[in-house]
Amino acid sequence: MIMEPALLSTPLHSSVLWLIPFLPLFGAILNGATGRWLKNTKVVDFFALGSMAVSFLLVVYTFIQLMGRAPVDRSVTQTVWTWLTLGDAHVLGGLTTNTMTWAYKVDPLSACMGLLVTGVGFLIHLFSTGYMADERKNGQYYRFMAYLNLFVFSMLNLVLGANMIMMFLGWEGVGLCSYLLIGFYFEREYAAIAGKKAFVTNRIGDFGFLIGFFLIFMVYGSVDFDTLMGMTRTILARPEITLFGLSHAPTWWFNLIGCCLFLGACGKSAQIPLYVWLPDAMAGPTPVSALIHAATMVTSGLYMIARMNFIYVNAPVALSLVLFIGALTALVAASMGLAQYDIKKVLAYSTVSQLGFMFMGMGAGAFSAGMFHVFTHAFFKAALFLGSGSVIMACHHEQDMRNMGGLRKYMPWTFASMGIATLAIAGIFPFSGFFSKDEILWKVFEGWYAGGTYHGSTLSLVTWCMGMIAAFMTAFYMVRLMVMTFFGEYRGAGHDPHGLTVPSEVHHAADDHSHDAHGHDAHGHDAHGHDAHGHDAHGPQEVPWNMWVPVFILALLALVGGFLNIPHSLHWLGSSHFSEWIAPILYQVHPAEGPEAASSIEYILMFVATVIWAPAAMGLAWVFYGADPTWARPRAFVKRFPELFEWVNAKYYIDEFYEAAFIGPCKQLGAQLWAFDVWAVDGMVNGAARTTLNVSHAAHWFDAKIVDGLVNLVAWILQQVSGGFRKLQSGRVQNYAFVMFLGFLVFAFWKFLAC
Amino acid sequence: MADMNQVLFVSFLLFSVGVAGVLIRRNALVILMCVELMLNAANLNLIAFARHSGTVGGQAFALLVMGLAAAEVAIGLALVVALYRKKDTIQVDQINLLKG
Repeated sequence: MIMEPALLSTPLHSSVLWLIPFLPLFGAILNGATGRWLKNTKVVDFFALGSMAVSFLLVVYTFIQLMGRAPVDRSVTQTVWTWLTLGDAHVLGGLTTNTMTWAYKVDPLSACMGLLVTGVGFLIHLFSTGYMADERKNGQYYRFMAYLNLFVFSMLNLVLGANMIMMFLGWEGVGLCSYLLIGFYFEREYAAIAGKKAFVTNRIGDFGFLIGFFLIFMVYGSVDFDTLMGMTRTILARPEITLFGLSHAPTWWFNLIGCCLFLGACGKSAQIPLYVWLPDAMAGPTPVSALIHAATMVTSGLYMIARMNFIYVNAPVALSLVLFIGALTALVAASMGLAQYDIKKVLAYSTVSQLGFMFMGMGAGAFSAGMFHVFTHAFFKAALFLGSGSVIMACHHEQDMRNMGGLRKYMPWTFASMGIATLAIAGIFPFSGFFSKDEILWKVFEGWYAGGTYHGSTLSLVTWCMGMIAAFMTAFYMVRLMVMTFFGEYRGAGHDPHGLTVPSEVHHAADDHSHDAHGHDAHGHDAHGHDAHGHDAHGPQEVPWNMWVPVFILALLALVGGFLNIPHSLHWLGSSHFSEWIAPILYQVHPAEGPEAASSIEYILMFVATVIWAPAAMGLAWVFYGADPTWARPRAFVKRFPELFEWVNAKYYIDEFYEAAFIGPCKQLGAQLWAFDVWAVDGMVNGAARTTLNVSHAAHWFDAKIVDGLVNLVAWILQQVSGGFRKLQSGRVQNYAFVMFLGFLVFAFWKFLAC
Repeated sequence: MADMNQVLFVSFLLFSVGVAGVLIRRNALVILMCVELMLNAANLNLIAFARHSGTVGGQAFALLVMGLAAAEVAIGLALVVALYRKKDTIQVDQINLLKG
């Protein structure tokens, strides 16, 4: 048997924890089951938002409970029921019987994630009540809200689950909900295809995740996070680990597990090489893009790595892989964002790029820095996505930024919110992005800096350079987005002095928002356009309160969120609450060291980043797009390097490469297998059927002629024989009486003659 | 005092008439009457032999047969009535439900 390690903490048992995930589930079930028949969609709102609000309050309550306890005891658990018991499994420690429970655990990390999921989730639900207003009429509204609630349930299972099975349940659940919501307008082919793409790409990642998960179970004999963390030291003390006939040092196995799990994180969190689904996922409604594809679901890979930090800190190769892939993704995705015109595509590549930053932080071993960027990013990217949703709605479902412009005058709240979020993502002091992004870049740099010796790994230096370039690009494309959308003159409604607009794709593929579920007849669209929010005659207008308020709240959070985690070097501003808060769940390789002295080099880098680097990028974008309303410079640039622009605009043809390298061969293999199926397998089956048919024809003939013939012969003989007797039975009483009389006479004669 | 043989001859005739009636006539009532004839032929024999042997057992037996005949007629007539209600006829040649 495996030795149970002494747990570090004494968790607090709670009986209301299960309500946090289950309330949204109840909301989803209620809305999903009854929504179809509800005339008043306000009832749907009540269930969906009410369950989210109560769930959020419960998380807040649990969070306050946690704050009141000592750091090592910050854990609230609830075991709801025993899920399954695994008997006599062969693991490293011998035979084990493992009981997997449906259990929830709130510790500092999952409490923060829970706050994020329910809090941001609630705001996005609120935004959806305005954004999805068109769906209220065509009866699809309840479906959207039910999916959204189901997503929150899955996501909460993922972050609050106390073991890997629960995490995997949530992991697959969010994948399912993502699929359902991307394909929400499933009557449009491109949305259905995008949903399928997201699902299949995630399956590739899930394969790695499952393998890693099985390996962990083989090594530890448990799936419970607390047990895993507590046993790590014992496992590491082994000279070597033998599994499947392979003997290697524990670190080798940890590297393998780390790489497998990272493949899963790549799928879910859209990292190279599995990032391709996220830009396509923009086919879903914009609130979905904000909630699932920016704030929560795509961060589950990060959460998983932070949760498995005890694996990663002992797996240097896997950690380097995370660092490199993160940096590469941050750079490549940011460069793709430079040349996109679809407002949501820019934000999608921005999300991929920012996720890359988070993985860089993880890869540098700075789990708290990476997680902190998850939170700040959730605030500003959700604000940006929701703001872009408002913009798209105000521009009558136009997504091409060339057809926008000048919206600052019409939509002051949205402009202010998105402006704050832009400054945050660009990393301008004192917005939240500054603190989180520079912390990550500093930690990466520190890997090379190595306490002033500059003897760290070259990889750190390379990735730091990539990160800095990506940060520059981030500031550039965000200001480009803001300028194209909000500055200058409104270029919609036929007003276009500089010839910048392109034919609108509103009525074709790029439209994200449903006009009408039952086809694209012009009448349907016009009628909708007028009564929903005015039309071209009025120009763009600010969106209703239930849409701009959530955006503004998120922008405020993006403004102040950074002060929750002040780097050591800036301690005169405040302390690193977040890092300290999250420290108990991190595996300590060495005894904790005292806080390092603020190094002057960190000051210089920070100063350069926020005063020179990011503003330079923003200034460049302003010069290109803002100062000159004809966009002469970028157009000259495109004219000078048409291939370069085309290459970037087409996202380096990576989708096409995948199509040619993997999907095409897969399809061909499928066709081959299909042909084999048709010729060989079906042939064999049909041949067997034909043989059986012939045999049964013969058997039928034998049966009909020989067997039935014999039976009929017997019957015929009996019939002939019985025919004679039948005539005796005339039914006439007098016949019988006559026979009786005859019999009497015969008897009498015989009697008397015999005497 | 008639001769024993004469009585037996009359009895034989009566019985033959009864048998012929039962076998030939189609009307159920007539058949019943012919059965009575046969019974009475038997009664005549019983009484004749009783006188011949000088005992009274035959006479007593004839009385019993008379009672039995009365009962038989009651049941037979009831059957005929039931038959008539069921089939609207008492012609026995039309009643052949048991024909094979």
